[in-house]
Amino acid sequence: MTRYFIKRLLGGLFTIWITTIAVTLLIHLVPGDPVQIMYAQSQSTTPEQIEQIRRNLGLDRPIYEQYIMYMGRVLQGDFGTTIRGNQPVLDLLLVRLPNTLLLAVTSLIITMVVGVTAGFFAAYKRGTWIDTTLMTGAIVGISVPSFWLGLMLISIFSVRLGWFPVSGTNLNNLVLPALTLGLANAASVSRLTRSSMLDVLSQDYMRTARAKGLAETLVLSRHAFRNGMINVVNMLGLQFTYMMGGAIVVENVFAWNGIGRLAIQSIFQRDYPTIQGFILIFATVVVIVSIVLDLLYAWIDPRITYN
Amino acid sequence: MFWQFKLTKRTAQRQRRSLLGVALTAILVSACGNNQQTTTTTSPSPGTTATEGGTLIWARYGDADSLDPHRTTTTLSWQIFDQIYDTLLAFNDSGEIVPNLAREWQVSDDGTEVTFVLNEGMTCHDGTPFDANDVKYTADRAIDSQNPSVTRGAWGPIEAVDVVDPQTVRFRFQSPFAAFVSFMADPFASMICDSNQELGDQFGVSQAVGTGPWQLVSWTRGDEIVLDKNPDYVRYGRPVQNEGAAYLDRLVVRQIPEAQTRLAGLQTGEVQLIVNPPLDDLDAIRGNSNLELHVAENTGQNFFFEFTVSRPPFNDIRARQAVAYAIDIDAALRVAFDEGLVERERCPISRGVFGNDQEFCGQYSYEHNPDRARQLLAEMGYSANRPMEVILMTSTGDNRERMVQVFQSQLAQVGINAKIETMDIGTLNARVKQENERTSGISTFDMMDWAWFDPDILYQLWHSPGAYSGYQSPELDKLLERTRTTVDATQRREAVNDVMEYLLSNAVHIPLYTPGSLWVYATRSQVQGFKIGPFNRPVFNDVRLQ
Repeated sequence: MTRYFIKRLLGGLFTIWITTIAVTLLIHLVPGDPVQIMYAQSQSTTPEQIEQIRRNLGLDRPIYEQYIMYMGRVLQGDFGTTIRGNQPVLDLLLVRLPNTLLLAVTSLIITMVVGVTAGFFAAYKRGTWIDTTLMTGAIVGISVPSFWLGLMLISIFSVRLGWFPVSGTNLNNLVLPALTLGLANAASVSRLTRSSMLDVLSQDYMRTARAKGLAETLVLSRHAFRNGMINVVNMLGLQFTYMMGGAIVVENVFAWNGIGRLAIQSIFQRDYPTIQGFILIFATVVVIVSIVLDLLYAWIDPRITYN
Repeated sequence: MFWQFKLTKRTAQRQRRSLLGVALTAILVSACGNNQQTTTTTSPSPGTTATEGGTLIWARYGDADSLDPHRTTTTLSWQIFDQIYDTLLAFNDSGEIVPNLAREWQVSDDGTEVTFVLNEGMTCHDGTPFDANDVKYTADRAIDSQNPSVTRGAWGPIEAVDVVDPQTVRFRFQSPFAAFVSFMADPFASMICDSNQELGDQFGVSQAVGTGPWQLVSWTRGDEIVLDKNPDYVRYGRPVQNEGAAYLDRLVVRQIPEAQTRLAGLQTGEVQLIVNPPLDDLDAIRGNSNLELHVAENTGQNFFFEFTVSRPPFNDIRARQAVAYAIDIDAALRVAFDEGLVERERCPISRGVFGNDQEFCGQYSYEHNPDRARQLLAEMGYSANRPMEVILMTSTGDNRERMVQVFQSQLAQVGINAKIETMDIGTLNARVKQENERTSGISTFDMMDWAWFDPDILYQLWHSPGAYSGYQSPELDKLLERTRTTVDATQRREAVNDVMEYLLSNAVHIPLYTPGSLWVYATRSQVQGFKIGPFNRPVFNDVRLQ
């Protein structure tokens, strides 16, 4: 178990390292230079001055040199400052990270509660109108873009009914973005739960459990649900990554002050230190979550052991 | 200077629709941009009068990059500088330069010295006095090559800044710099207090000390900037009526990136002012008696065509002129924008900027003339079987995609096949420069926009090597240099005219329209006294909430 954990940890670090290299290469592939963009439109600075600022920022060096210098600083905990406005990058990210995590976790809870419940009942009532209705809903849920769903929710619950604020980063405003993100993902979870449950419900041990006279609720909760959930929990890690990614769109719609929104803005401004910092933090969170979930997986299903 | 500034204020039509049932389709239609309006109201009962105090929330699509005026030049940033700091001079409503922190100024005959005499008894937000030392501190910091200042070029060839006495400060230049005096009225030249030096890295991040009408309380980056009124504010030159401190207690500048969400926030009354509402939903604002639309004019913004001249066909003046004759700008504007939002612009520098003269530019501008365009193309050997193939690029947003689509169809009518490429402004800037440095491939032209408060913009764009390494000529350089070194207003106007004539008759810079970028605002009707000064500067000194 410990060996497995260490192996996973090293694998995780390797993943993060590869990600930083890929991102550094990719952002330099996009045309446009941060200093030039900063000066574009409504600015008067000579090309020599722009060149000097690029030199000050180290942007005139080869990419690999910039990368090594950057990683050297990061290992000492220095994420640098934004090119635009000279703000400390780590501060910018850490102030926002809890907001994104809060949104992602709340959405994940909504996804699990709604998705698993719907999938479970659809499987249990297989072939009935309940099954059909729930699965039709799931198809709609998968097809609706979260951008549109978000605006719909604002239109109904904020503008018409006045129940929730339109924007802002506080608990009051958490409901609508979390619903937007949660419902879209609940749709796919419900389909997975349904097929997994159908599998389990047709197993011999289900018939045995019923044959020995176990109450239906016990049959379902002890034998069907727990076994059916293994696949779903396995998918949790993937779901969480979706949540973090999907948060970028939802954060924009609801003006939720998370790191995704910062990332988009930085990409448009080619603010390399911010983009790199974002990816580093993002990759770290995803790696940690997936390790934790793997350990959780073994705990739920004792048949699984790591060695 | 003779331009006129007026603020178009469209009082919303009073019109309400009762909503019978909330069918899903109806909601769908409304949120997708139709004019279905909501009747949620938080407005006060009629007859209430404006009072002092209170908080106004201003929602914008993005955040400031920094509160340090030497660190960034984005509109989102300088519109905040404009609240926290003040400038030595100011633009009045008719765009003339008037005294502000400086009660008088004098330019030496040879144009190499500018002396300012400051008002007495001015204080910074932290209570320290504001005097000539603060001016010197600001200028030295802005032009210090050790400091990564982004406004250095705009200050001109400063040799030294001398404090003559606490109320008098003198700028000495290596050579005359005509754009300096107007720069002193621009937020990029915001005066910062020398006590900021003690703040170190925190200046512009968590703290900012100025003399402006609003003082910084807190800045939650990406979320909101909270400003309180400066109770000691004295108006010297700002284009407002209120002579003292602002009427409001607090001004909160909030970030709401999505336009539909901003509009929803205005509709619910969660925010009282938004910039850049969705342009397709302006009827929802006009049709709502609780909301008012404000359109800024004389912003100094100029949308124009420029061409890649490093290769055929646009290295030939006839190809550039053919494009200029082929397009029908007025028709395109009617398709792309609601009436009254933008105006056709005939000069390379826009309305509101010194030297803009529609009549003068009209003599050299290109009116819609498809026959002339076809004739020029025929001379170059193009025909119906052999159309001219080019790429038309522009940046995304503010209905620019729609503009270029109309242009595309107009160009097709004379035999120019233009492929459209739209991209974010950062990419476009890089791309235009790249295209100018390439000597092969399909040629490009682009719809670009720049904003500046002085005709010096033309120098920045077109003096070799130019902003994008585009069209260059020694003759044009000479004309441009004269606009920089000529200090006398009448002579400078002539110099600017010469440049505009050159750019137009050589079809280098084809002006299209103004303003066109982040110039539409909407308020709750309860907001009284909101004003957008020249060059797109929202001012809140006169604002009261009803």
